[in-house]
Amino acid sequence: MRAPADLLRFLRDVRLFTRFAEPELIALAESLHERRLRKNQLLFREGDPGDEMFIVRQGAVLVSKAIRGRVEQVLDHVRPADFFGEMSLLDGSPRSATVQAEADATLLALDRVGLQRLTDTNPRAAAAFFHALVHVFIERLRRSTHQVAEATRWGLEATGLDVESR
Amino acid sequence: MTERPAPAKLELLVRRDDESFEVREVGSALGFIQSRPQRGAEGSFEVSEVRSSVAAERSFILKSAATERFLVLSEPEKFLWEQMDGNTSLQEIATAYVLRYGEFDFDIIPNLIRKLQRARLLTLEPKSRLRQALARNRGQRVAKAVEATLTSLERINLSSRRVQSVFQRLHRWGGFVLFTRAAVVACLAFGVIGGVAAVALMRALDDVFSGFGGRALLGVLAVKLLFFASVALHQLVHGLACVHYRRRVREFGFAFLHGFVPTFYVDVTDIFMATRRARVVTAVSGTLVHLVLGAVAFLVAAHAPVGSFTQAFAVASGIIQWQALALSLYPFCFIEMDGYHVFVDLLGVPTLKHDAVSYVKALLRGRERLRWGRLEALWLAYVGLSSLSIAAFLAFNVWIVVSAVS
Repeated sequence: MRAPADLLRFLRDVRLFTRFAEPELIALAESLHERRLRKNQLLFREGDPGDEMFIVRQGAVLVSKAIRGRVEQVLDHVRPADFFGEMSLLDGSPRSATVQAEADATLLALDRVGLQRLTDTNPRAAAAFFHALVHVFIERLRRSTHQVAEATRWGLEATGLDVESR
Repeated sequence: MTERPAPAKLELLVRRDDESFEVREVGSALGFIQSRPQRGAEGSFEVSEVRSSVAAERSFILKSAATERFLVLSEPEKFLWEQMDGNTSLQEIATAYVLRYGEFDFDIIPNLIRKLQRARLLTLEPKSRLRQALARNRGQRVAKAVEATLTSLERINLSSRRVQSVFQRLHRWGGFVLFTRAAVVACLAFGVIGGVAAVALMRALDDVFSGFGGRALLGVLAVKLLFFASVALHQLVHGLACVHYRRRVREFGFAFLHGFVPTFYVDVTDIFMATRRARVVTAVSGTLVHLVLGAVAFLVAAHAPVGSFTQAFAVASGIIQWQALALSLYPFCFIEMDGYHVFVDLLGVPTLKHDAVSYVKALLRGRERLRWGRLEALWLAYVGLSSLSIAAFLAFNVWIVVSAVS
């Protein structure tokens, strides 16, 4: 079944696929599964098993990590054309954070079978995919480092701790 | 100029009973005012009031039993300290403060918290202006060399923190006699007899100093060395007084103050927690060593052959001992000697020097207007008298050296 034109147009805007040729995008689209979430609906919880990554096509989802009781720290708001869940796809580890819909959302899921097919049939596209993925990882690592620093600053300011004079 | 960053924020998700949730941004300021500071458990601190006949406000000394350091708290700060029970948030503490004092000083709580958190409390090491100037001019070889030398000397510190038992034994084996009425009478007697001898000797000072002959510089150096030894005795008596009032001597040792002033020192800050009488006696008793030694020196000089080296040496020693006595007891010299501590204790203004210097500096820079309250008058008097006294002290010493050498 041929992928609709609007889906192909959308995929071209996703950073992971910007260097894909038209036939490669069409092949990729065939491996993607659509998931719909209502507002507030949980997609998965931290610690759940998983082997899919998701691309937000419409709406927005919230990524959070448990802190204490009912309180979680918001790690990211994922908007259209952005993606999440790739860590479990690549290493098979349990989900490292909880994801739920901030608004009604449509997601595109790529599972391990689909990724394997991409690697087997379109090695050039797979290389472009992983190259883009590494760039995004670097950005996210930088953002995480900044978040750690900000959380530390928050702690110092909230406690009034005078470290300089110690 | 570095711009101060906006207060940090955390984005938190709070789940409700149903599937829904709420995302809240929590600023560090909110975290701060909702924190519930808890002071140490009973027994981990002591509070002692400093009574004042001048300052309008009462002040208190807070001692941490863990670090054995001290903080001077104003009455409002003590009120805040008492609220910090671990159950009351800073917001509630601030409200209680407003209800009590009818106003709120936005800096008082953060400043107090910083002070308390340090409760390694005050650093007693004076920061030398000379060292600051040298640090600024490290680019110059001479400054760098001087700084390196001073740093090396500063590292020389022969001291012990396990001296309490030594002082207790010294006190038990006879040191307690120094704190009897008989000792006070003996001191007074020495003072009077030594004074009479000194007056007689001063009438013929030129003849007396002629005893140095061609060894004037050697004589002056020997006098200084003997005096240096007497400083150790001075500190020893402070320690005995501290033990006499059942407080702890924390340290005794030798160091180079500011990197170049060799001195013995004793840490008797624990006496702050005792009565005012104990604090005054501890401060004054050390200085009386100089009274007695000076008197003995004058008596020796009075009985030595006129114009002999012994007489010259004894008179010079007597002068320097009594000068040390005056200097130690005299509160107006910008140096926080024993007399200063007694003076501020009696007035109940423990931060007199700092406040006075800050006020006069602000006046000179036009940041403060001249006011004539009791405290302001005290500050002005302190700075004025201290400046004059230092000038007089320098002039007197120049005269002594010139007299001795010529």
